[in-house]
Amino acid sequence: MKTKIFLVLLAAGALCAVQPAQAHHAFAAEYDATKPVTLTGIVTKMEWANPHGWIYMDVKQPDGTVKHWTIETAGPSQLSRHGLKKADFVDGMSAVVKAYQGIKDPALANGRTLVLKDGRSFYIGSVGGPNDGADL
Amino acid sequence: MPSIVPTLEWLEGLAWTTAIRESGWGYPLIETSHVASIVAFAGLVIMMDLRLVGLAFTHAPLAQIQRRLFPWQMAGLVPSTATGLLLCCIDPVRYYGNVSFRVKLVLLALAGLNALAFHLKTRRRAGQWDEDPQATATARLAGAASLLLWSAIIVSGRLIAYG
Repeated sequence: MKTKIFLVLLAAGALCAVQPAQAHHAFAAEYDATKPVTLTGIVTKMEWANPHGWIYMDVKQPDGTVKHWTIETAGPSQLSRHGLKKADFVDGMSAVVKAYQGIKDPALANGRTLVLKDGRSFYIGSVGGPNDGADL
Repeated sequence: MPSIVPTLEWLEGLAWTTAIRESGWGYPLIETSHVASIVAFAGLVIMMDLRLVGLAFTHAPLAQIQRRLFPWQMAGLVPSTATGLLLCCIDPVRYYGNVSFRVKLVLLALAGLNALAFHLKTRRRAGQWDEDPQATATARLAGAASLLLWSAIIVSGRLIAYG
C-alpha cells in the first residue's frame, strides 16, 4: 500500500513539476527586463480586453519611418483599479508608454506606465514584470 | 474549403461576447468557475480511475463506486463544459490559433471516447468482476488512460495562457 501511495504521489509530483517552470516565467519568456523602452507616439487602437489589454501605437523613428508597436497591458479589472477607464482611450490620441521590449518580436512590449496628454499617469503592468517601482 | 475564421470573427464581434471580454468581473468569474468545476470533476474521475487500476478502494464493488460517483461527476462536467464553451465564444480567434488549445481539444475527444467505450463495454459485463479487487485488463487500461488523459487535459488547458 505504501508503494502505491508513493507511486501516486510521484506521478502527481511529476505533473506539477511541468507547471511552475512555465507559469512563473510568462514575462521572462516573452519580454526582456534589461530592455526598457519609452515610447512617445499615437495610440491607433486600444483593446480593453481580458485576460490582457493591448495598446497599438505608432512611434516615429529617428530615421523618419513609423514603427507599429503592440503593447500588452493588464486586464480591465486591474486597469480600472489603477484609475483608467475604457473611455480614456481615443483612437489617434498621443501618449507616452514606458514598457519592456519583446525578446522575439522587437515591435512587441510589456507596458508599465502610461502617461496621457493631460499629464495623468497610470500603472498598466500585468503580473510578473520586474520590480522597477512602476506600480508604486 | 471555406475558412472558419470569418465565423469566429463574427462571433467575437457580437455585443454579448464583446461585453464579457471587456468586463471587469464577468470574465474572471467565468474563468474561475471553469477551473473550480474542473477541479471537482477531475477529482471524482480520478477516484474512479484509481479503483479501476487497482490503487484505491479495491474492497468496494466497482459498480457501486461508479453509481455513487457518476451524478457528482456530471455536476462537475456540466458547468465546466458550459463555462468552457462560453470562454471559447468570448475569444474564438485567439483560441483557434493556440497550439495548447488544439491539443486540449484532441485530448478531450480521446478522453470522451475512452469513457464512452468503457461504459458501453462494461455495462454488459460489470457483474462478472464487480466484487473482484482486480478489474479486467481492459478496465484497468481504461482507468490508466483516463488518468493520463485528464492530467494532460488540465496541463494543456493551463498552457493555453502561454501560447
